[in-house]
Amino acid sequence: MNSRFPIPQGTLDMLILQIVSLESAHGYGIAQRLEQISRSVVQVNQGSLYPALHRLEQKGWLRSEWKQSETGREAKFYFLTAAGRKQLAAEKNSWERLAGAVRLIFNEGGR
Amino acid sequence: MRKLVNWFRRDKLETSFDRELQYHLERRVSDLERTGLAASEARRHAVLELGGLVQVREEVRDVWLTRWGRDLIYDLRFSLRSFYKTPSFTTTAVLSLMLGIGATTVLYSLVDQILLHALPAREPERLVLIDWKGDYVTTDGFGSWNLMSYPICRDLDRQKQFFEGVFCRALREISITTEGFAEPATAEVVSGNYFQVLGVGPSIGRVLTTEDDGVPNANPVVVLSYSFWKTKLGGASDVIGRKLLVNNHPMTVIGVAAQTFQGIDVGQVPVIWIAASMSEQVIPGFKDYLSRRTRWMQILGRLQPGMTLRQAESGLEPWFKTMLRDDMRLPDFPVITAERRHNFLNSSLVLTAAPQGHSELRRRLVEPLWVLFAVTGVLLGLACLNVSSLFLARGSAHEREIGTRLALGASRGRLGRQLLTDSLVIALAGGLLGTAAAPLAVRALIAFLPQGNAPNALHAGVDWRLLLFALGTSLAAGLLSGLAPGWQARRQSFSSCLRERGGTGSGGAHIRKAIVTVQIALTFTLVIGAALFTRTLETLMAKGPGFDTTSLVSFEIRPAQNGYSASDGNRLIRRLDELIRQSPITQASAVARFALLTGGSWNDPITILAGKRIATREEVNLNAVTPGFFATMGIKIVAGRNFDDRDVRSAGDPGYRSAIVNEALVKRYFGARNPIGALISMGNGPDAKPNIQIVGIMSNFSYRGLREESEQAYFPFLEGSDVGPTFYVRVRGAPETALHNLRAIVQSVDPTLPMIDFRTVNEQVNRSLNTEHILATLSSSFSALALLMSLVGLYGVMSFVVTRRTREIGIRLALGAQPRSAVWLILRDALVMIVSGIAIGLPLVWALGRLVESQLYDVKPSDPVVIAAAVLILGFAAMAAAWIPAWRASGVDPTEALRAE
Repeated sequence: MNSRFPIPQGTLDMLILQIVSLESAHGYGIAQRLEQISRSVVQVNQGSLYPALHRLEQKGWLRSEWKQSETGREAKFYFLTAAGRKQLAAEKNSWERLAGAVRLIFNEGGR
Repeated sequence: MRKLVNWFRRDKLETSFDRELQYHLERRVSDLERTGLAASEARRHAVLELGGLVQVREEVRDVWLTRWGRDLIYDLRFSLRSFYKTPSFTTTAVLSLMLGIGATTVLYSLVDQILLHALPAREPERLVLIDWKGDYVTTDGFGSWNLMSYPICRDLDRQKQFFEGVFCRALREISITTEGFAEPATAEVVSGNYFQVLGVGPSIGRVLTTEDDGVPNANPVVVLSYSFWKTKLGGASDVIGRKLLVNNHPMTVIGVAAQTFQGIDVGQVPVIWIAASMSEQVIPGFKDYLSRRTRWMQILGRLQPGMTLRQAESGLEPWFKTMLRDDMRLPDFPVITAERRHNFLNSSLVLTAAPQGHSELRRRLVEPLWVLFAVTGVLLGLACLNVSSLFLARGSAHEREIGTRLALGASRGRLGRQLLTDSLVIALAGGLLGTAAAPLAVRALIAFLPQGNAPNALHAGVDWRLLLFALGTSLAAGLLSGLAPGWQARRQSFSSCLRERGGTGSGGAHIRKAIVTVQIALTFTLVIGAALFTRTLETLMAKGPGFDTTSLVSFEIRPAQNGYSASDGNRLIRRLDELIRQSPITQASAVARFALLTGGSWNDPITILAGKRIATREEVNLNAVTPGFFATMGIKIVAGRNFDDRDVRSAGDPGYRSAIVNEALVKRYFGARNPIGALISMGNGPDAKPNIQIVGIMSNFSYRGLREESEQAYFPFLEGSDVGPTFYVRVRGAPETALHNLRAIVQSVDPTLPMIDFRTVNEQVNRSLNTEHILATLSSSFSALALLMSLVGLYGVMSFVVTRRTREIGIRLALGAQPRSAVWLILRDALVMIVSGIAIGLPLVWALGRLVESQLYDVKPSDPVVIAAAVLILGFAAMAAAWIPAWRASGVDPTEALRAE
């Protein structure tokens, strides 16, 4: 449990976009998915989930729709928009470049 | 933007989010229950996971609206609720700001329209007025200000390296006949490039071009103003090609100017535009429009892009100097002295920015309007101070509440913002009401303004510029009113305020006293201003024009503009004069070439031959009158004789033989010498030949206006001249019936001849004083409002002081102090504020007094009587306002006061 580190600032948005990019999901679904991630990799504070969802929707990267869920009740589903897809790609890209750069520095130090 | 939209649909957002949360929790709870948790424990856990429902809701709301916006909504709601609960506070505050903002907006409307608004022309910021500085060496001239001749305008138009174009214009009174009826109207005589240089097009047909302004008298065409076309011709589409009569000359309509364009003078809107080549028709008897030394037109130009005023001014210099030398060699250049030649050659051209065009009204009102605008600014400042003071009073009543809020963790900034919201809400409400009421006041003011012969282009409507101004003013007023209370709130220490007993907090009494002191200082300056302007008006009214105005009426006719030749015109005048004098309604009657008290006059320097030759440097005001004039007007002939039959000359006998001069002229130029029998002539050049004999001296009276004490010379009413004339009739009975009778007489001689400006001379006196009227009336009303506001402020703070010191007074009384001493205790406070307010105000008066000096007559800003009166008025009113709470203090019941704790 203690080995898990808290999620870096700003990565939650990227994670949410990533989750929704695979399949549209409602808030609870995304939370469950985050929980799975939490259990294995990083610790996500569930309290920031809904503010993040609404922020992403406000920015136009997600759109939402009330649909029937797997339990038969209406739930608010989030979809990735075209802008959201672009944003996700950009964030992945910059993340990879950052990670690559950090790795490069560490490798250099190790040599 | 999106957040603004969210603001309006926040209820929908809330319910939707509630459903979303609900769904989440239910799923989570049932999932947790499946793992074996108890229902209540599962729910607690689910909520905890989200970090608390309230928190998550708040955070999501922040996403929708941002924190700032959300707080604003809460603040607004809180403000409105608290205002609703304290109606008298709200009414006083809103009313104060409504008066302040309303008055400022009204004045701004006029300042904007008359002083600031640029012409609806293309790139008006490149327009300049070109004026002559130095001795123009005029041979003839008429009009108002900044005058030059038409040929010089044409020369300037050729200086293309500086100007894109240069045009000239003159406003002239004409008679216009459209459907058989002749009526007086105003035409703008312009050079052919007028419309092109301004960048103004037609709404139908075409505008004038340089081709229309070529050969003299060859192009009898006119462009109509849009409003004339709409109102007088019903907006007929077939108006192009129609003929109308201008001064009885047929002219063809070629177009209607653009709807927004009303000429370049906001104070006088012409109905038609005519090319200068037709000036002989527009100005009967005028044949000199090609003379270089005849000044009658204003010249304006459009600078080349990127050209500055100074560059153009200095760039024109070489050409201008050459032109001066060339002009002097022309055969029609008058003979002048060496000194004048020197002055002529040293003349220069002065360029001033003229994006607003050229306006006599502006020239006349620029100072009064700025003065009044400043006064309304002060009034607004007073209103803000009043509201500040009210807020402070409310704040001190709420001290405990604020203290509690602070103790519960409200940030000081947040509390300050609440106060600011309060004051902004009040200011916006006041601004809204003030702006809503403004058009009424603007309309009244416009009706009050000096009127020329042509209607002005002023309107009372609220346009976006005015709205913007009102909004800006309201916001500024809101900030200003919130300043002192906000500061006070910041300073407040909540622990001390909770410790203190209710109602005895410091309550910003010091700030409130300071505010009242400043209010008194400002009010003092306004009261003095009002007293000065009122005194000016009263002095002028009491002085009068120097002749008897009772039952005196006047009207003008313009035979030359209605097709009469000079000799026919004079026959008409003589016939009318006889008929009016014989009429039973007439006590006395006379005719003058030029009307009195209109602001204008016939003037010229003169040369006097009385032992030695004196050429006057200044112009002398001249007129020509029938023999009965002095008797009719009640003007005394103090020496010599009146005009009589000896002075009447028959038609065709040119020149004046005799003159009557006024005492001012005698005093200035004759000293101890006897003027009777001395010779004078018009003009002050070496070629002037004095041959007009002074036969009498008349008492001084006003010619152009009441302020002026000018030198005057009057000649007999000469036949052959075709200016004017104006009839002066002293009537029996009411002037209204006289109008009827006089009109019948005029119509019996010529039914088509319009009677112009029929009015009583008293009315004319009032008209000539209307700038003074405006200044006196408005500054008095504004200072009365200012006084009221300061008194309310003073009363408020004194009541507060009395309440606060009730215990102290109670103790004093219980210890045997006289009630009178309690009154004095309170009044002393008020007296300190009043005296220091006046002490601050006095230097202000001296500093500001210089700015209004030119508007005053026979009174100085440092006038002891005026200052004493202002001190008395203010001191008396202020002490009265302070007396009421003080008197209440004397009635304090010691036992009650002590038990109240």
